[in-house]
Amino acid sequence: MIQTILALMKKELYQVIRDRNMLRLIFVMPIIQLLVLGYAINTDVKKIDTAVYDFDRSSLSREYIKAKTAGDYFIVSSENPPVLDAERGFKENLYTAALIIPNDFSENFIEKKPVNVGLLIDGSNANSASITSGYAEMIAMQFNRRQLDIPEPIVMRQQMLYNPESESIYFMVPGIVAVLITMITAMLSSMAIVREREIGTLEQLMVTPITVPALIIGKTIPFAILGFLEMSIALLFGVLWFGIPFVGSWSLLYGLTFIFLFTTLGVGLFISTVTKTQQQAMFYAWFFSIFAILTSGFFSPIANMPEAVQYITYLNPLRYYMIIVRGIMMKGASIDALYPEIIAMIIFGVLIFTSSWLRYSKRVS
Amino acid sequence: MPDAVTIEKLTKKFGDFTAVDQISLTVGEGEVFGFLGANGAGKTTAIRMLCGLLLPTSGNGTVGGFDIYRDNENIKKSIGYMSQKFSLYGDLTAYENLWFYGSVYQLKKKVLKDRIDELSEELGLHEFLNRLAGNLPLGWRQRLALATSVLHRPKILFLDEPTGGVDPVFRRRFWGMLYDLADKGTTLFVTTHYMDEAEYCHRISIMHHGRIIELGNPSDLIQKYQQPNLEELFVQLISKKSEESADV
Ligand SMILES: Nc1ncnc2c1ncn2[C@@H]1O[C@H](COP(=O)(O)OP(=O)(O)OP(=O)(O)O)[C@@H](O)[C@H]1O
Ligand SMILES: [Mg+2]
Repeated sequence: MIQTILALMKKELYQVIRDRNMLRLIFVMPIIQLLVLGYAINTDVKKIDTAVYDFDRSSLSREYIKAKTAGDYFIVSSENPPVLDAERGFKENLYTAALIIPNDFSENFIEKKPVNVGLLIDGSNANSASITSGYAEMIAMQFNRRQLDIPEPIVMRQQMLYNPESESIYFMVPGIVAVLITMITAMLSSMAIVREREIGTLEQLMVTPITVPALIIGKTIPFAILGFLEMSIALLFGVLWFGIPFVGSWSLLYGLTFIFLFTTLGVGLFISTVTKTQQQAMFYAWFFSIFAILTSGFFSPIANMPEAVQYITYLNPLRYYMIIVRGIMMKGASIDALYPEIIAMIIFGVLIFTSSWLRYSKRVS
Repeated sequence: MPDAVTIEKLTKKFGDFTAVDQISLTVGEGEVFGFLGANGAGKTTAIRMLCGLLLPTSGNGTVGGFDIYRDNENIKKSIGYMSQKFSLYGDLTAYENLWFYGSVYQLKKKVLKDRIDELSEELGLHEFLNRLAGNLPLGWRQRLALATSVLHRPKILFLDEPTGGVDPVFRRRFWGMLYDLADKGTTLFVTTHYMDEAEYCHRISIMHHGRIIELGNPSDLIQKYQQPNLEELFVQLISKKSEESADV
């Protein structure tokens, strides 16, 4: 059994190494994905359309607004629109930020009380929103420094709408890692077995005394190895190139990734039992990946999804892994905090592997 | 002499279509058995049932003394199968293919190495061992497939059109190799479309539309039907049968 499994693994890895296209897919894709993301981040966000609500209408408030909009960053696109329409402006893309100066602005200033202004940011584009927020913070600080006579610095209270967690590149990179290994492992494993069926080598294997467990294990472990490789490339690139902090434990992340790969490889295996051609298998794997990505909380928080969809996300192993990767990388989550996710992934993995196993045994006889 | 293969009323239906229709035959140990028939007669389907790749619809059979329904695992240990379609890994070298299948049969490292040496010597594969199987010329691919299917020294070897598409010189040599195997006691169950090859067989059966319409020693059959050679005999038998079924 061990010999058979090792032989299968070695053979599978040889085949991947010989396939130039496959190699390119495995090693270049993560880097390109991350670079594209990197360019999106590094692009300067300029000319942010801003709605200005000046309830104070004093010379000080006007001066503050002038300072705010002096540079290239904030452009006043509408002044004092009806208050209740602030959100509609976001929805109709009239502006992506709203500066609010309360009517006690200059009064508090003179009475040496704390002074607040508000800034609303449309957070639906996570990257530009976090950059907008950074600019606003910077300008507010510069204003404070110039007005040396002010007793209390003006505090800007920011609120991000639609995307309260304020996703940034730190948030996206762990997500991309999760997405990449999902796609690669589901696709490769589903196609590997179907390809053998297509070219007839599966039949040749079936007349040997090979057992179904040995076949399944020998055909999946190589793709688990590739999944780890893929993840390592993406992580190293993210950490070294973009300087993403990695707060938690690497070994915990790799350990839990192993459990996650069990689920995606299981899905690949299952797909290979219900399809006849590589094209079909690729389509199914692609469909699974899209479903998994869309309901994983990668693009938008699960809490913002319609309630019915929120229930569906529980069926998605990537949903749990997304929490794990982000938790470990960004917050240094320990295993104690992740038990529900781990258990959910194990249940999913066992179910999908058992059902593919049963389907295999049926087909062979 | 115990029988290597016994089949009794073996039948396979695909939906309404009967691909193999109640065929019965026995093949003795060490025999070279020719399994003939026109395209679509059902030869491959019958072989696939014997090798445990396809479940029969009805009928019985044993291979190497093991029941085809219950003893699949034992059958797999005692047979070799060279399929009609080239089914080795084209992106692995000849050596890697041999090594892989040998490992799947759990041959010890040393034994496997010796057998690969021995077989490539006998089949003249040496200079091709490091070439990708997919790039080998057709005749060499078939030799490689033969080598792969006998690495584990099976008692019974099923060969489904092993010489399809190769030139006469190659075919002659290939049959020389098959005869060497038969001399060592391997039972051969061979399908072919070449009637000169059929004459090398101890016994042949002729299949038509899923049924076995004739079975016996080649020279006996030639005498029985008073034909100059097997080719004429085959053509005559098949066209007679086709007319009969057209009349019905
Ligand atoms: N899986 C299948 N489903 C439906 N019909 C099938 C299947 N496999 C084979 N057949 C049909 O059964 C018949 C016999 O096929 P088979 O491959 O056994 O013929 P053969 O004698 O090997 O022919 P050839 O000499 O062309 O290889 C053919 O008509 C074929 O179309
Ligand atoms: Mg055939």
